Amino acid sequence: MNKGVSHMSTTTLTKAMKDSGARRKRRVEPIYYLFLLPSLVLFTLAITVPAIIGIFFSFTDSIGIGDWEFNGFTNYIAIFGDPAILQSYLFTFGFSTVTVIAVNVIAFLLAVGLTSRIRMKTALRTVFVIPMVVSGIIIAYVFNFLFSNSLPSAGAAAGIPWLETSLLANPDLAWIAIVTVTAWQAVPGALLIYIAGLVSIPGDVYEAAEIDGAGKLAQLLRITAPLMAGYMVINVILGFKGFLNAYDIIVGLTNGGPGTSTRSIAMTVIAGFNGGDYAYQMANATIFFIIAILISLVQLSVTRGRSTL
Amino acid sequence: MSLKPTRSKRMAGLGTSLVLLAGLLTGCAGDSGKETIRFTFSKREAIPYMTQLVADYNSSQDRTEVVLDTSGVDVVSASFVRGNPPDIALANYNMETSRFVQRGALSDLSTTDAASRIREDLQPLMDQYGTYPGRTSALPYSIMASSVIYNKKIFAAHGIGVPKTWSELIAACEALKAAGVTPFYATWKDDWTIGQGWFDYSVGGQVDTIEFFKKLTEQGTEVGAESEVSFRKDFEQPVGKMLELAKNYVNKDAASRGYGDGNLAFAQGNAAMYLQGPWAFSEIAKTAPDLDLGTFPLPVTDDPEDLRVRVNVDLAAWIPEASKHKEAARDFLEYLYRPENIDAYNTSQLGFTPTTDAVRVADPRTEGMAEYYEEGKVYQGPSVLVPRTIPVFNYTQAVVLGADPASTLSTLDADWARLAFRQ
Repeated sequence: MNKGVSHMSTTTLTKAMKDSGARRKRRVEPIYYLFLLPSLVLFTLAITVPAIIGIFFSFTDSIGIGDWEFNGFTNYIAIFGDPAILQSYLFTFGFSTVTVIAVNVIAFLLAVGLTSRIRMKTALRTVFVIPMVVSGIIIAYVFNFLFSNSLPSAGAAAGIPWLETSLLANPDLAWIAIVTVTAWQAVPGALLIYIAGLVSIPGDVYEAAEIDGAGKLAQLLRITAPLMAGYMVINVILGFKGFLNAYDIIVGLTNGGPGTSTRSIAMTVIAGFNGGDYAYQMANATIFFIIAILISLVQLSVTRGRSTL
Repeated sequence: MSLKPTRSKRMAGLGTSLVLLAGLLTGCAGDSGKETIRFTFSKREAIPYMTQLVADYNSSQDRTEVVLDTSGVDVVSASFVRGNPPDIALANYNMETSRFVQRGALSDLSTTDAASRIREDLQPLMDQYGTYPGRTSALPYSIMASSVIYNKKIFAAHGIGVPKTWSELIAACEALKAAGVTPFYATWKDDWTIGQGWFDYSVGGQVDTIEFFKKLTEQGTEVGAESEVSFRKDFEQPVGKMLELAKNYVNKDAASRGYGDGNLAFAQGNAAMYLQGPWAFSEIAKTAPDLDLGTFPLPVTDDPEDLRVRVNVDLAAWIPEASKHKEAARDFLEYLYRPENIDAYNTSQLGFTPTTDAVRVADPRTEGMAEYYEEGKVYQGPSVLVPRTIPVFNYTQAVVLGADPASTLSTLDADWARLAFRQ
């Protein structure tokens, strides 16, 4: 009896252990889901639900409060004939492209400089990273003052006539000011990623190149640049996405002016939201959202190819 | 063993203090036994004044406790959406508020004593933003008039009188220019200063804005080159006059100057005239408290009979339909409209009182506009009558910086028609 019981219990035990062992392999600890829960709930409540509500209202004539009626694709049809909206898309994409190029060229060169054997490397790195920690709107106001006052007086003193009026007051050139300030703020982020990348390139590659007689420039173009391609893609993607949402720096610099020459997509959306044009700008935001998804998909497939590099 | 009593003691202590705290809180609420109403008011400059008025009201009676809420306009819009609006508000009356009016979110005030004392000739200004059938949804509280601010000392020094016609204005500008004085200080960098001043004064000085916008709304999607009224057709001539002034008689660096720069420069006597509202007086006074300033309507025709001042309903009172304390709110409304209170408010803010029994305290700075206001020779600026979703300020800025006025006004027409199409 006694023997039998102990025997039985042993088999069940081993069986149970086997079972749970097999299950453990497949089953994820529930605690992990618990970790995900807060951000999942917050994301759903703060992003997904409002987005769905917004898309829903883009098919109505709602002004944000009170009664509304469905009006089908009226808002979407109106958007495609609205030069102000088309211009905001043109501006935003043009601005993002130029800025992303400027930021990456500057950040890459700075990173190469800051990882080479120069004096006061740490101090310089700190200095170059400072713009990252200042808020965009503050940077914009400071530069606004520089562009409106300091630069024109410098231009007047130096006798350069086109500098005497503010860059921000020129409808054809105001975008340059916005690119400059945005780049000034965005360079440090890209710089840090490039520095991390450069540090990770092993030194023996350069030694080998040197033995083979490659000069510094050849090393930069033939070794550093290709090895950094992955980091460059990351920087371009992150940068471009951020610049598409351009808002605070433009508000602080030109507020969309002079005229409507520097109104970004985000600015038109918010202006309509404040101005009782809720449904229309929700339609605009929906279109922007779809475009952003398309860009993400393209970028995702590109990065997948790159990460194996 | 030794831990247990301590912990339970601690818990007991915590419990006791919680009970005490709760008792304290309920005690507070129970003591007053008053009906609490929330009063929204967010005009920054006047908050100290209003705080005092609310305190006076609260101590004058023991039925209602008014709580002043200064959190601002955007919060108010959101509170309507949530169905929890303030019980009473004094707020800027504009396109945004009109949305609440048109959708019937504001209660009828026509039976209040205050409503019976409002000047009837001001009603069109209120109605211009839309009405709700059978209701007086809001009552004007403070009217701000704005026109040309001028430096009396500079005018006197060059023997220039207040111009009453366009030709006199041009002559004055020429005289000032010849003497090396900048006639107008312009601040193109801040687009709203062009919209509310240059654009509104030029257009409002000769176009009947009430009639114009009525017809424009009727035409809706038809607005364009062929329609009976359009921005292009009716505004091109006044905008041309605005440009004549803007091109010839302003400071050279206007494009890179903003509102703050303008106040400083004007306070330092760097120009003779300034197209701003009364809100600029307190800013100018920060630099030059004793500067002798006056006001006059911008003449844009050659008939002095056409002179009018731009006004806006800086504050209007309204009580939301969704308020649960309408009676108490109406009682406070009557208090706000007591002659001594409404007059004192408007005197302190350089505004004009919209009641028939108003006693005006003359201020030399706004004296030049008083007669026009009293005769009802007023208009609301076209820039505030265009829904904010159309960037009219940006357009006016583009025009003064060199964009073609005709094509910009056509854009405005197209925007208007598009808005009518989708709303």
